[in-house]
Amino acid sequence: MPNIAVFMEQRDGEIKKVAWQMLSKARALTDAAGGEVWGVYLGDGDPAAEAGRRGAHKVFTAGGEKLAAYNCELYTAALDAFLAQHQPDLLLVGATTMGKELAPRLAARRGLPCISDSVDLQWNDGWTVRRPILAGKCYTDVVPQTAPAVVGIRPNAFPLAEFDGAAATETFDPGLDGVEPKAVVKEVRQSEQKTVELTEAEIIVSGGRGLKEAENYKLIEELAAALGAAAGASRAIVDAGWVDHSHQVGQTGKTVSPNCYIAVGISGAIQHLAGMSSSKCIVAINKDPNAPIFKAADYGIVADLFQVVPPMIEAVKNLD
Amino acid sequence: MKIAVLVKQTPDSETRINLPGPVPELDDSGFSRVLNPYDAFAVEEAVQIKERLGEGTEAVAITVGPERVMETIKKDCLAVGCDRAIRVDDPALAKAEPLAVARVLAKVLERDQYDLILCGKQAIDDDSAQVGVMVAELLNLPHAAVVTALELGDGTFTATCEIEGGQQVVTGPLPAVITCQKGLNEPRLPSLPNIMKANMKPVEVLSLADLGMEAPAPTVTVTSYSPPPARGECKIIENDDPAEAARELVRLLREEAKVI
Repeated sequence: MPNIAVFMEQRDGEIKKVAWQMLSKARALTDAAGGEVWGVYLGDGDPAAEAGRRGAHKVFTAGGEKLAAYNCELYTAALDAFLAQHQPDLLLVGATTMGKELAPRLAARRGLPCISDSVDLQWNDGWTVRRPILAGKCYTDVVPQTAPAVVGIRPNAFPLAEFDGAAATETFDPGLDGVEPKAVVKEVRQSEQKTVELTEAEIIVSGGRGLKEAENYKLIEELAAALGAAAGASRAIVDAGWVDHSHQVGQTGKTVSPNCYIAVGISGAIQHLAGMSSSKCIVAINKDPNAPIFKAADYGIVADLFQVVPPMIEAVKNLD
Repeated sequence: MKIAVLVKQTPDSETRINLPGPVPELDDSGFSRVLNPYDAFAVEEAVQIKERLGEGTEAVAITVGPERVMETIKKDCLAVGCDRAIRVDDPALAKAEPLAVARVLAKVLERDQYDLILCGKQAIDDDSAQVGVMVAELLNLPHAAVVTALELGDGTFTATCEIEGGQQVVTGPLPAVITCQKGLNEPRLPSLPNIMKANMKPVEVLSLADLGMEAPAPTVTVTSYSPPPARGECKIIENDDPAEAARELVRLLREEAKVI
């Protein structure tokens, strides 16, 4: 099997979890069928040690002033140079806001197959990529016709694994002499509260209209805090102005795939399911036994959420 | 100022899909269809810019699709303020992938020269989120993606883009491609008289040959469409005491599902 390159997204030197997940998956594939796993890292620093532990055989790095902070046009040019120099068979890119603009830029530049937001990857003398469409109501198997293919991977689609050995580091020339980007990032504003980011969270607690009023969203935040989880929301309570749009899960919000998704007072409209139905374990707490969320859920409690969530917070706090 | 709005008719997200098992082709003939909800933000933004700048500003809706998309184009683009529409219709584009659509749109955009290109951040049918950024790349233009606020200066743009855990502000020269996200504006609804008037607005229909293009070779093929992975029955925790049920749920999530 040919080599798999994994784009190791970083902001401020912090590498996204999805990068480690992609390395682990790539390594499982190459261990079974041959080939090498290559991390591709743009920016200052050398993540080879951790990358090796997550599955990389080698990490290709390019740094310097132009790559220190993210710029889509410069990063596209650097990845373009990498593909020209090293010709992997596949380039995996996290389906993050960064990955979702880098992948199509790069694919259009080189005329490559581009497959977005995928949840599975198989090798059988050729690649098959699995991804949901139509609000998660249908899954497609997609086969790239040429190599390399650029494939976006949904965060949390693959588990982390641990491997022995360090990865070797090799630098590459990003070919940025004379390249000036047209669009520039003037400012990055991180939200003040440092809560767990929704798309990367392993556990998410989301609230919906069943909370009755804005103030009750604090129940969701308390349960989330007790679980070390991110706090999400249905469209209804975002539109009502109870919670910022950055918390919205579903169509016109974020697509998430945590290990555990706890839907509190959310009926489960298809637009909401579209954003969370690939979660591993789904829990529904709703007083309406006919709420569609129960059809998508693994565990459910049919009861008034105000009588369930407070004792749940206590029970979670009492866990070892 | 000349504004292009790239739009797509997509299946309504409420559309039911009955897939008994994997099939090689998806029968979409019974789908009800709407304007891609993210494209509605792009249309509204174009119309608001027009209203702000007044005379001499034109908003053109551009789409790729068969005759049936005209209903959407008229009602949700022309009736809310776009001045005219261009529709590329060619049997060779029936199953076109994002890169092929982007190449076609880039060709249309090149022909007429626009100052600003707006589109939705993704379409809710295939959720690829590729076309807008690809168009920018093919035309060698700057872009800003997932935009929740847009300001235009003298030949420049400043866009607030949603990123994980915050926002980034991107600036650059026009022309540029802006992919629109919820929060940018509140799309208006068409009025009945305006829907009638929309019938009078010009719509240009182009084939690939009109654009001097051949059918693009696909870079990917979809080999199967299957139902979502099956989930087991939902385990309902029955207990007259909700607090007891809550404790049992926490125990199951820890010991059985092993997810907390």
